[in-house]
Amino acid sequence: MMRVAISGHAVHVPGLSEVDIPGAPAEAAAGPDDAHRVLGRKGLLAKEPATRLALCATHEALRLPPGKLTEPVPGAASTAVVVASNLGNVATVCQVVDEVRAEGRHAVSPLVAPNASSNIIGSSIALRYGFTGPNFLVCSGATAGLDAVRLGALLIRTGRTHRSIVVGVEPDDEIATRLCPGLRAAAAAIVLEPLTADEGVVLGPLTRSRATLASTMDLPGGTYGAAGVLGVAIAAALGEDHQVACGDPNDGYAAMPVTRVRTLVGIS
Amino acid sequence: MTAPNPVAVTGTAMVTCLGDDDETFAALLAGRSGVSRLSNVDGETLGVTHGYPIEDGPERQLRPSGWLADVVARAAAAAGLDPATRRVAVVVGSGLRELRSVERWHADGAELSLPDLHFDAAVRSVLPDVTEVLTISNACSAGGYALAVGMDLLAADEADAVVVAATDTMTESMLAMIGRVGDEPVTAVAPFDADRGGVLLGDGAAAVVIEPAADLDEPRPLIRSVGLSCDAFHETAPDRDGIVAAMRDAHDRAGIEPGGIDLVLAHGTGTALNDPTESAALASVFGSDGPRITGIKGATGHTSGGAALMSLLVAIHAMRTGVVPAITGLRTPLDEAAGLGLVVGSPEPAAARIAQVDAFGFGGVNAVTLVEVGMSELASESVSQGDRERLARACEGES
Repeated sequence: MMRVAISGHAVHVPGLSEVDIPGAPAEAAAGPDDAHRVLGRKGLLAKEPATRLALCATHEALRLPPGKLTEPVPGAASTAVVVASNLGNVATVCQVVDEVRAEGRHAVSPLVAPNASSNIIGSSIALRYGFTGPNFLVCSGATAGLDAVRLGALLIRTGRTHRSIVVGVEPDDEIATRLCPGLRAAAAAIVLEPLTADEGVVLGPLTRSRATLASTMDLPGGTYGAAGVLGVAIAAALGEDHQVACGDPNDGYAAMPVTRVRTLVGIS
Repeated sequence: MTAPNPVAVTGTAMVTCLGDDDETFAALLAGRSGVSRLSNVDGETLGVTHGYPIEDGPERQLRPSGWLADVVARAAAAAGLDPATRRVAVVVGSGLRELRSVERWHADGAELSLPDLHFDAAVRSVLPDVTEVLTISNACSAGGYALAVGMDLLAADEADAVVVAATDTMTESMLAMIGRVGDEPVTAVAPFDADRGGVLLGDGAAAVVIEPAADLDEPRPLIRSVGLSCDAFHETAPDRDGIVAAMRDAHDRAGIEPGGIDLVLAHGTGTALNDPTESAALASVFGSDGPRITGIKGATGHTSGGAALMSLLVAIHAMRTGVVPAITGLRTPLDEAAGLGLVVGSPEPAAARIAQVDAFGFGGVNAVTLVEVGMSELASESVSQGDRERLARACEGES
C-alpha cells in the first residue's frame, strides 16, 4: 500500500510562537482579527474566526509569503481539502437566529449567508488557493482531527488526489465555549502527498479505543476537534517518531503513529 | 486510473416528508408533493413560509438524529448486518447537522450537550458494535461524499461493510438566509421550470449498506463509482466546469462512457442558478441524444445532505421497476434544458441499467454517483424485447 508523507505543516495557535510550541510561526501566531498579517486584507470580510485561523494555517503549511497570493499555488488543481472542526459556525448560526427574531430577515447580512453551512471553512480554503479536488468537513467530535488526517491520506491512496491539505480548527467564541467549556482557539494544517523521496515523515494506521490513548508529546489542551491535526503537525515539526492521540470519554479515543522513515524510491 | 471494485447495495431505508421508502416512491409516481406551510418557525418573519417538513408532532431536540437511527437500523436489518462478527463502519453525511438543536438550545432554552452535535450516539443507539462512526458535513452533497468515503474504506480494506447514511432538518438560520436573498416567498419547488421561484428545504434521512460485490451470491445494485470535485469558484453559486469535472470523474472511475448511462437523477433544486448550470453541464457531457432525466426535489423539497442518497434509492427503484417518475412541479422546461430528456408530466417506462445521481452543494462541493442494476434484477414485464436485447449487448460490451 502506498505510503503517505507529510510534506508541509503549520501550527497556528493565536499568541504562540515557535518558542512556545513546535511548528508555530517565528512570531506569535496571528489571531482572527490579525489574520490579514498572514493573508493580506482582501477576502476576509464576513469570514468567521475559525475560517480565518484555518486559512492562516493553510497559508503557513504551504510556506507562502505573507499577503495576497501573487501567483497560483503550484499543483492547486485536484488538490483535496479535509477540515476537522465541530464548532466553527455555531456562533454565526445563533447570531442569525437572534437577529432575525429581533429585527426580521433584513437585519441579516447576506455576506454571512455562506457561513450558515458548516463546510464554509473548506470551501473558503478551496476558493482562495484554487483547490478543485475533493473537499469536505469532518465533524465527529473529539476524534475529528485524526479522522480527517486518516481520510485525507485515504483520498491519496485511493487515487482521488495527488495532495491533501488537512486542517484542524476550533474557535473560542462565547457560544462555542458554552458548548465546550475550556475550548481554546487553535488551528493546524498538514500537507499530505505520496512518499516519493528517499526519506520523509509518514503516517501510520489509525487505531481506536474506548480506553484512554495518549500522545507521546505535549499538546496544548482544549482544542477538541483540532487536536489530532495539531498533534500530527507538532510531530512533523519535531521530526521524531511519535504517537498522536485525541479523543474524550464520549467519543472514544484515536491514535496514529507518525514516523520518520528512510527508504529507496521504488522499493517501498 | 483503474476502476474501483464495484460495491453492492445490500440494504436501504429512507424517511421523507412523503413517508417511508415505499410511500415516497408511490408519491413520486403519483406526482404528489409533500409541501406544506411551515409551523415550527415564524415563516412570515423569515420570508420562507413553506417547506417539506416531516410532520411528527411538536418540535423537539435531535430530530435528525432520530431519523438517522431509524434508517440506519432498517438498512442494517435489511442487509442482515452483524457488527459483532464483521468490521462495520458507519459514515454519516449531513449539511446542517444538529444545528437546529443548537438554535433551540441558544434561543429557546432547549437541552443540548456537545456530543449531540455529531451522530455517534444516535448510530450506536441502534448499532452499538460498529467499529467507527464518521460524521462528515458537506452541504447538499454530503450524502454523496459520505458514499465516496464509504467506498474508499472498502477499497482500502478498512471495513467489511459500511452503512452510509445522511440526515438533515431545516435550520432557522438557513431559512433566514434563503428568505434574505429571495425576492418573494416560494410555495413549491419547480425544478428546471421556466417559472421556478427558488428552493425550499425538506426534512429526512436515508441509508444504504454497501459491501464488496465479490462477497455476495445474489445480484444486487452496484455502486460503480462516486466522482468528487470542488468548483473553487464561488461560495454559494454553482459552476458548470466544476460540475462537469465531478461527472467526468465518476465516469472515468467506473470506466463508463456517457453513452452508457440510461438515467439521470438530477440535483434540480429549482433555483435561478442551479438548474441552468446543471442543464449546461448535462448538455456538455451527454450531448443531444442524452439519457432520461428526473429529480425528486419538487416532491421532497431540498433535503440537503440527505438528497443524494434519496435520489440514489429512487434511481434503483426506477431501474428495478422500469418506471421513471416525472419531475414533480415541472410544467414548462427552461430554455437551457431544451435539448435534455427531462421526464415531464407523467411517469415513463424506461429500460435503464445504469443511472447517474447528481448532488451539488454550497461551496461548490460536487458528488456524482453511478449506480447499476443488473439484467437479472430488471422487471421483465416492463422491459420490451428490443430494450432487453439492447441492454444485453451493453452488458456484453462491458464485461
